[in-house]
Amino acid sequence: MAVAGRMMFRRGPAVDMKLLLGVVAIATLGLVNLYSATSVYADTETRARLGDIYVTQVYWMVVGGLLAILVAAIDYRHYERFANLVYAGGVFSCSLVFVLGNSMRGAVRWIQIGSATIQPSEFMKVLLVVMMAKHIHNDHKAEPRTLVDLAIPGVLVLVPVALVMAQPDLGTGLILSLTAATMLLMTRIRRRTLAAIVAAGVGVMWLGWNHGMKQYQKDRITSFLDPEHDKTGIGWHALQSQTAIGNGQMFGEGYMQGTQNQFGFLPDQFSDFPFAVFAEDWGFLGCLLLLSIYCFICVYAIHVASQAKDRFGAALAIGIGALIFWHAIFNIGMAIGVLPVVGVTLPLFSYGGSSVVTTLVGLGLLMNVSMRR
Amino acid sequence: MALLGQRSDVGEFRRRYRWIVLTAVVMFLILVGRLAQLQLVQGDLHRAQARKNIVRERSLATTRGVIRDTQGRVLAANRPSYNVHMTPAEVDLSETWPTVVKLLALEEPEKGELERKIKEIQALPSKGLTPQEEKRRGQQILLKVDVDRDAVAYLETHARELRGIEVSPQPVRYYPYGELGAHSVGYMREVGAEDLVRLEERGYRAGDRLGAVGVERRWESYLRGVRGFKKIVRGVSRRDDVQEVEARYLEEPRRVEPIPGRDISLTLDIDLIASIERAFHGQLAGAVVVVDVRTGRILAAASKPSFDANVVSGGSGVKAVAETFRRLNADPLKPSLDKTISAAYPPGSTYKPFSALAALADRLLDPTTEVDCHGGYEYGKRFFRCTGVHRKVHLHEAIVQSCNTYFYELGARVSIDKLASVGLDYGFGVKTGIGINPEARGRMPTRSWYTRRYKEAFRGGFTLLSAIGQGATTVTVLQLALAYAALANGGTLYQPQVVRSIETSDGTVVQDFPPRVRRLIEPDQEHLGWVKAALEGVVTEKNGTAYKERSRDVDMAGKTGTAQVSHVTPRGVDPGKVWYFNRDHAWFSGYAPSRSPEIAIVVLVEHGGGGGKNAVPIAMRVVRDWQKMKEKRLSAKDDAAGDKPN
Repeated sequence: MAVAGRMMFRRGPAVDMKLLLGVVAIATLGLVNLYSATSVYADTETRARLGDIYVTQVYWMVVGGLLAILVAAIDYRHYERFANLVYAGGVFSCSLVFVLGNSMRGAVRWIQIGSATIQPSEFMKVLLVVMMAKHIHNDHKAEPRTLVDLAIPGVLVLVPVALVMAQPDLGTGLILSLTAATMLLMTRIRRRTLAAIVAAGVGVMWLGWNHGMKQYQKDRITSFLDPEHDKTGIGWHALQSQTAIGNGQMFGEGYMQGTQNQFGFLPDQFSDFPFAVFAEDWGFLGCLLLLSIYCFICVYAIHVASQAKDRFGAALAIGIGALIFWHAIFNIGMAIGVLPVVGVTLPLFSYGGSSVVTTLVGLGLLMNVSMRR
Repeated sequence: MALLGQRSDVGEFRRRYRWIVLTAVVMFLILVGRLAQLQLVQGDLHRAQARKNIVRERSLATTRGVIRDTQGRVLAANRPSYNVHMTPAEVDLSETWPTVVKLLALEEPEKGELERKIKEIQALPSKGLTPQEEKRRGQQILLKVDVDRDAVAYLETHARELRGIEVSPQPVRYYPYGELGAHSVGYMREVGAEDLVRLEERGYRAGDRLGAVGVERRWESYLRGVRGFKKIVRGVSRRDDVQEVEARYLEEPRRVEPIPGRDISLTLDIDLIASIERAFHGQLAGAVVVVDVRTGRILAAASKPSFDANVVSGGSGVKAVAETFRRLNADPLKPSLDKTISAAYPPGSTYKPFSALAALADRLLDPTTEVDCHGGYEYGKRFFRCTGVHRKVHLHEAIVQSCNTYFYELGARVSIDKLASVGLDYGFGVKTGIGINPEARGRMPTRSWYTRRYKEAFRGGFTLLSAIGQGATTVTVLQLALAYAALANGGTLYQPQVVRSIETSDGTVVQDFPPRVRRLIEPDQEHLGWVKAALEGVVTEKNGTAYKERSRDVDMAGKTGTAQVSHVTPRGVDPGKVWYFNRDHAWFSGYAPSRSPEIAIVVLVEHGGGGGKNAVPIAMRVVRDWQKMKEKRLSAKDDAAGDKPN
């Protein structure tokens, strides 16, 4: 590594130590926290299963890290050429889920390959960012864009969104839409067009609520609006999470001492609510540190974008930054009860191979742009 | 480094970076704000909730106080009731079941019903059950309550062979004397769902028992005791660091010991109540009260027929309770009614001493006043009958022979309001405030009461009836006993008491109840002397109404009474038994010893007929027993005192 680093340095592109430090910090905290989240008191069988989770996550971190180095090493401008291909591949694998998919808790999201289950919709997130960046790169205009100009990116977004929504996976659909929207907002758009899109969005949401959404999805939102109403059902998850976070107080209960986690009051503590575990263990000060690092990575991505050599790099950096940003905002937001409980992972904190690899590959892309500005 | 052309391409984004950074930072700050609210502002609240989630308070049962009589004998205590449960899924129908049936003496149809349940539950598949079915599989069924010690011993020694059969002890109230004094001591009942709303704040829970009537109810808050608790961490038994975990999460106090209920010593003497029970033999219904004339303490109170306090308190199971109450409530003799205080009766001639005192006080007659009894008294258009033809009688003979004519004449002279006011002085027409059971007030009718009651002019005949204790006049047995006690002690009306003292479980007296005077009546002692001489004559003079039934060794004074009853048959009475309910009430009220009174006694035999024949023998037997008890206790005390110097 050291030799490779020096070689890179000599040639021009150098590893961005600030970004690397931020990512390593998050990944380390995430692993440490996952250990706490999976060391709850339970019978031997459950504990063994939870122990496996931690080890698996380490493996995926290694895999993701290696992939990230690979992705960062090749000049990002080459990716622009392959964007169409990888995008098509992503959409294809997303639709493959319906044919080969494993059903888990009423949703078809996973494909089994060997002993690993893969969630194509996770990878789709990065692939969509690359595709959108390519589109924005080639679509430079002086005058503000109209609805007609936005037709192509609109289709590019809506196809994968429709596919994941049909799985159904509300969270991923939301992240895909928000990330793409953030990237498009970087370009000049006519006010009228923007207003029309917002109006259409509201209309689609209304339609979705009345016709498209499953009851459990509606329940999540209604119980968010009125958590006291349903103390045993879905609202219970949100309430227990808030209790855990509040229980952290200023300094936290101490590492692996959070009672809400230890005594099994947090549902899905390693996938949906790792933040609650962290907040209970480390308190307000720990949370402040974690939020600062996430905030730093997001702002730093914008900084990288602002210094990028070309539109592709800038859009890519913005896209990756948006991806991390929306994940963090939604996951933490739902844990602290300001957003409804939708299944969105916390980057590098939540357990899940596809999620970890996707996040690390995305950060590799960001590093790539940062190294070549 | 980079080409200018490429830079200009990026220019489109330039102005937006600032806004995006601002938006991102603001959104993170919103999260931080909410975190501050949760963790800093509401932190204590959430920590409390988190502790509540993991900490359980297991309650520690307390023991109810013991009730003792005046001699220290236990009237109400606690004992374990051994209840047998079975888990149907685990019971072996061919091996275990027959043994259990034989041991517990289970009979059809119960036996068949249970067997059907066992088969049904064992037929359920072991997998793929709905939560309800799962619950049913694990549920326990009560086989029998309060099995005897031999059965418990057998079940416990053979526990291993008898899978699915379990014995669990449960504390129940135990009344060693059963029916004796049951109305005064009281019994327990389970807290009902509707009471729970009211009682929950006082710490009662579903399934708790509380005093339903009598002393058990009145002194519930003392007898009950305070439940303790022990805090435990949920599911901690699985952990190997229990001590450490408990020290960390449990706030002090981690354990609060239960406080046992207070013991209560009563003024009642169970020997005396047993004596009443024996004396009452042969009579169906009635009540007896014995009070100490020098203190107002109730030495004995009995209401007949009675009931077994053990059964109605649940000692024989819930079914037996419901069954017993159904029987008690259907009985026309009203066994659940405390006839010493909860029901008012016409006092009949036992009221005559008070009528005499009223007339004497108003100087309307004196002992020389003579009335000629021709077997009745003409008043207006009506003729009021006497019990016989007594010829010329003075006050003394009138009381001794219970001549109504004399008292009709008295009633014609005295005003009804004067009769009522003297009655009120002696505590009639007012609740005594004994408090152990709902109390009847009785009635001292006045002119205005009659005017209100009958919307016509007041008639003098009402006064005549009141003077002989009939008409609208009613009293309770307790009121009468306290009034006779006041006659006996020279005019002091005492507050009736059943509780002598309250003690902690180790015997330290917490509260003592000295006698309380309700009123100093201050009657003219000369008048009182005349009346008391007459009351003595009732028993000792040849033509006295109690003379025939007197017993030589009993020194007692008193007055008999035969009260007519209104001929309204209670509902649900067998027509063949109506004659019984039309019979007069038999009364005797008196005190003993006649010259230096210590106790007052009132005997009421409901529908017993003539007072002299039916009530006096009971009073005689009880007073004789009381005298014997007194002598025995005195000599025992002397022996004890005599032993000491040695």
